[in-house]
Amino acid sequence: MLPEVTAPATAAPATPDRVVVQHHSLVRISHWLNVPILLAMILSGLSICWAAPVLRHAPRARTGSTDYLADLGYWAVAHVPGQKGFATPRTWFYDHFSLGHGILAEALRLHWLFAYLFMANGLLYLLGLALGGGYRSLLPRLSDARGSLAMMRYYAGLLPAKLLRRHWPHPPLREKYNPLQKLGYLSMPLAGGAAVATGWAMHKPAQLGWLERLFGGYDRARFFHFFLLWLFVAFVIPHVVLVIADGWDTFRSMVVGWSERVPRRSDDDA
Amino acid sequence: MTTPEDPSVPAPPTGETAPDEVSAGAAATLDAAPRNPTTTEPEGSEPPPPDEPEAEIGADETAASPPARLPDGRRLVTLSPADRRRQSRRDFFLFGASAVAAAAAFYAVLPDTTRERILSEGEREFLDSLEARVGLGAKRRENILNRALTFDDDVAEALYSPRRLVRTYRRSDLTPVPNNYAGETPDSDYIPDWKLTVEGLAGGTPATLGIGDLLPRFRRRDQITRLCCVEGWSAIGWWGGFRFAEFLEAFPPEPGARWAKLESSVNLDSDGDPDPYFVSIDLATARHPQTLLATHQNGEPLSVEHGAPLRLLAPMKLGLKNIKAVTRIVYSAAEPPDYWNLQGYSKYDGL
Repeated sequence: MLPEVTAPATAAPATPDRVVVQHHSLVRISHWLNVPILLAMILSGLSICWAAPVLRHAPRARTGSTDYLADLGYWAVAHVPGQKGFATPRTWFYDHFSLGHGILAEALRLHWLFAYLFMANGLLYLLGLALGGGYRSLLPRLSDARGSLAMMRYYAGLLPAKLLRRHWPHPPLREKYNPLQKLGYLSMPLAGGAAVATGWAMHKPAQLGWLERLFGGYDRARFFHFFLLWLFVAFVIPHVVLVIADGWDTFRSMVVGWSERVPRRSDDDA
Repeated sequence: MTTPEDPSVPAPPTGETAPDEVSAGAAATLDAAPRNPTTTEPEGSEPPPPDEPEAEIGADETAASPPARLPDGRRLVTLSPADRRRQSRRDFFLFGASAVAAAAAFYAVLPDTTRERILSEGEREFLDSLEARVGLGAKRRENILNRALTFDDDVAEALYSPRRLVRTYRRSDLTPVPNNYAGETPDSDYIPDWKLTVEGLAGGTPATLGIGDLLPRFRRRDQITRLCCVEGWSAIGWWGGFRFAEFLEAFPPEPGARWAKLESSVNLDSDGDPDPYFVSIDLATARHPQTLLATHQNGEPLSVEHGAPLRLLAPMKLGLKNIKAVTRIVYSAAEPPDYWNLQGYSKYDGL
């Protein structure tokens, strides 16, 4: 909605002194705390996974492996340059992408420690969203559906357009986030909540039996928990790439809280 | 939709407008902002907002200017370039300092094996000496991580309800139950001479019982429940036996007893040498109606692989508490040691 012309104006229009508040301090703090906490959860989680892999298959004839992640190790040792000499291909994946194999007790202790920190940090984030009103920018609207299509079209054509040196304008943006960003950023607190819920379902399947049933049983809860790990990984990679592409102001706003990009009507790329 | 194209639309003084109108007005001003904002002059009647040095994010906004919001609800604040630089410097300094602190804390809790794998000996020595200097040595790490375990155990104990039953399954849900003896499976030689010794009884004198003293005395119960291993796998098994609760009534513990230590003297390590296994069980869990002293699996007497002739089946505890081939039970007021807890695992293990 564009406002009425006759509405009274306030003090200053978009003067160069104005900045737009992007993130409440609690949101910024919890955002950055997620870096070490999620890293620790993923590394310790994969170490736990070594003891009893979530995704298994019938034993492979050549290696005897029943674990897809161990298979990756056999593949890497055979194909990744510099890894030919790795003594135990079965542990390769875990030795490179987790705290290590065969350290279940250590990994569990770390997983519990960081799980409680993760939950506390999630509460901090929700508090920041409530206090700063940031939740408003995350709630999707029905009208975002068309905007999502426009954004998908934009992303799909971006690389070809750049290669062909065609002008490829960003769809107009009137809000903090474009509809796809909104979905992405909303999916993270939801995924965090689901990771906590599936974690509790596996951790206390007797006392929290209703939660275990909600996810369709113990093994399904494990599977969802494991799936969410990869969802976090899948989010972080484009997230970092897009923030770098978006520039310094976007990164800085997650540290200082404000952005100098005060949108005007002609702005397409806020 | 009318869009003001004329930047000269006068901006009346503010102060009496309702918040909604204020934000609409702010938006109008923004939307009406000319292509070249530098040509906009400050409003005639209002003095330009003072360059508040404290005009910080989250700071009270009444001082500098009325709240201005974008149509999406984001707040606009006035922050002079000098203040931006000052705030950025401060926040990035805090950010950097926190990042260093977080990295140090992260390193401090890394297991030794992980450090050995990713760092050279020289790097480790350097970092460990730094770590010791700020008081984050190995001892502190053990304390912090063990606190996390105890905290989690306390949460589990608080969640425990004697009335809550674990889910039971149908025969069609049964899965193979792996033999997860930590070491070698003992030879069946011990079975004919097997005796259960019970200590810490109210009467004072220990009791020594054969399987023939037990089976006729207690009602046989059968249940199909899930056994959850600390490693992450689980198995649904059909178990038969008698309730630990009824055994506790028949052989009551001394007053004040809150714990039972269950031992298996026949347990072996991976070299086949004797390695007695022992678990601690709180008597509240022992009295749970689904906690069995199991003697049967799938309707047959227990096999050696699964703890013949008598094992603990506590489905509201992790599998590692479900000790096989129990030979001794000791009641006590103080919490007894637990085999896996001594190796860094938690000790309450309530599911």
